This record gives sequence, C-alpha cells and structure tokens, in this order.
Amino acid sequence: MTGDTTRLIQQLAGNVQPVRPLRRPWMRTVAWLAVSIPYVAIIVLVLTPRHDLILKLSETRYIVEQIAALAAGMGAAAAAFASTVPGYNRKFLILSLLPSIGWLGTLGHGCIRDWLQFGIGGLTIEPDWMCLPAIALIGALPAITISVMLRRGAPLTPHLTSALAGLAAAGLGSFGLRCTESHDAGIMVLVWQVGSVVLLSALAASAGRNLLNWRSISSASEGTVR
Amino acid sequence: MAVIQTTAEDRRLADLMQAAQSGDASAYAQLLEEIAPRIRRIVRAHWRFLGAEDVEDIVQDVLLSLHAVRDTYDPQRPFMPWLLAITRNRLADGARRYTRRESQEVHLEDWTVTFARNDANSTKETYGDLDALRHAIQALPEGQRTAIEMLKLREMSLKEAAAACGMSIGSLKVATHRAMTALRKMLGNEQ
Repeated sequence: MTGDTTRLIQQLAGNVQPVRPLRRPWMRTVAWLAVSIPYVAIIVLVLTPRHDLILKLSETRYIVEQIAALAAGMGAAAAAFASTVPGYNRKFLILSLLPSIGWLGTLGHGCIRDWLQFGIGGLTIEPDWMCLPAIALIGALPAITISVMLRRGAPLTPHLTSALAGLAAAGLGSFGLRCTESHDAGIMVLVWQVGSVVLLSALAASAGRNLLNWRSISSASEGTVR
Repeated sequence: MAVIQTTAEDRRLADLMQAAQSGDASAYAQLLEEIAPRIRRIVRAHWRFLGAEDVEDIVQDVLLSLHAVRDTYDPQRPFMPWLLAITRNRLADGARRYTRRESQEVHLEDWTVTFARNDANSTKETYGDLDALRHAIQALPEGQRTAIEMLKLREMSLKEAAAACGMSIGSLKVATHRAMTALRKMLGNEQ
C-alpha cells in the first residue's frame, strides 16, 4: 500500500464519526410525502379547488387518473431514492416506473373514450399556458425537499436520479393541478400536464450533475477529515 | 476472480462496516486497509494502461467516496455489491478524467529544451554572433518567434507567456522546441 493511501486511511479512520444508516427508499418516500402532501393541499386551497371536486370524487375515471398520477410521483420518488444507494437492485427502478406507465395508460384510455364519445372534436387541443407554471408551483416544495433528501445519498447516476426526482415532484404537481382546474379532456391532460411533467423532468435531468456530484458530497464529509 | 467473496468473508466486512458506522475507528481502519488492495486490483484489472499513480488516485477516490456515503450502506445487505457499485462508478469517472487529461496534454519526444539537463543548458545555447541570432529569430514563423521572445529573451514563465500571447502551455512548449531546433539549424549548431 502506498504511503499516501495509508495516510488517507489513517485520516479517514481517525476522524470517523458515527452515522445513522439511511432508511430504505420506500420509507424515505413516505417521509417525502409527509412533507409534500400537506404543501400540495395548501396550494390547492390557495388556488381554489375546482367547483365540481365533490362530484368528481364519485367519478371512476377521475379517481383512477388521480391515483395513477399520485402513484407515478410516489414510484418515481422511490426510484430516485433507490438510485442513490450503491448496489441497489436496478430492477427496483423499473418496478417504480410502472405507475408512470399506468398513468399514461389511463390518460391514453381517456383519450380513446373521448374520441369514441365525441368524435374528432373530443381530441381538440386548446392552449393552456398556465399548466406548466401551475405544476411547477405545486411541485416546488416537493422538488426542493427531494433534492435535499437526495443529497444524503451516492450520486451514482445524477442525471437519472434528478429526472426521477423531477418526475416525482411534477407528478404531485399534476395531481394537485387537477384538483384545481376543470380540464378533463384526456388529450388536454396528456398534452399539457404530461408534457409539462416531461419538460420539468428533462430540465431536472439536465441539472443532474450540478445538483448531485461526488465533489460536493465528498467536500461536505471531508470537512471532518481534512 | 478477486471480486467474488464468500458469504462469510462478506459478512465479516459487513460487520466491520457496521462498526464503522457506529464510529469504531479501529474497525474502520481495518476495513479500509483490507479493501484498499482489492480496490487496487479491480482498478488494475479494468484499466491496465493506467500508471501506478493514476491507479492510486482512483483507489483514494473510491475510499473518499465510500467515506462520504458510508451512511448509504444498509447493514442488512451484503457489503461487496455496495463497495463494487461505488468502485465501478468512480472507475468510470476516473477514466473520463484520464481521457480528458490525455486529450489536453501534448507529449514531446525530446524534452531537452525544457528539462534541466546539462545538454539543455550547455554552452552550445550561448551564441557569440548576436546579429546572426537576431536575424535567425526574426526569420522564425510567428508562433515560434513569439515563444522564443517571451520564454527565452524576456524570461517569462510558461504560464505568464500563455496568458500574454493566448497560446496554450502545450503549444508554447512545442513552439519553443521547434524554434530551438530551427535556430540550431540556421546557426549551424545542428546536433
């Protein structure tokens, strides 16, 4: 063993502090939801819930789509947390993304139903420019919270982890948005809401290495070493 | 293969890691001392072309990374897959760093111009006919002339010269080397 490495080992061992092992990804997801859901509820109240919300809660299609959006956010969050644990089974990532596929499936099914019911008119896309900022606003605190939580992990796949974190936060944002506005046409939700979620996830992915990198994590821990 | 561990061996390392997470310095030192040679073997097996210094850099990177994220180890899970995931990740980063550095460096076959060797600083480098030397320098291509003027006549450092003329340090070295060779030829001092 070279002298430098031996010295490094002595330094690391000499300054080692007790650490609490990270909780399992799904437990961290629950902790994240515990912070995020109340915030989403508050923002929905501030933005004013949709007038027909009670009526909508008895509508199977709305309930299924909302559960799917929520599950997509939760699954993506669990996958993001799992992706920062070295040696974690990568199959878990795929499993966690299944709710997202389910969410797209329910929206696609809604589009087909609209088309069958209203013809081509049921697939009309109207501008909804407030969708993106609204999802960003509702997903802001969940995004900040998950970013902070992910920094207590290994930045093994920073772009993928950030994309999943973006998907998680934007999924919650989309869930919240549908509690406030009355756009129910499948194609509108698919294009504007899912489009916004994908865009926000892509933006998060592009910032991955800035948010999560070994340099910042190592320097934080080296404070106790060097 | 070195990376395959028996379950008992893995359990022992996992116990050491668990003790390290509790703040046991001697268990941590023992763990790091035991895994360092394994990491070194893995690095060498993956990147045979790396020199000893580069291998050691990556080993130290892995140890620092392991230290930084030691709270991500779950004592209920095997230790070696956790360590290997970190090692593979740092290996990939190390390879990217190595490739980037190699692509930015200029390798010279003859370093006598910049090395502090006797022949690089011999009396042959002094020349009596200053007019002929001045003319020879003027006859050099612009980049080589600039390099000679800044580094040899004005005795600027490579860094200062690079900042002043906008050339990279590598280009300055190459230009200086070529200029010196050309000057020797022109002044009849070709070796």
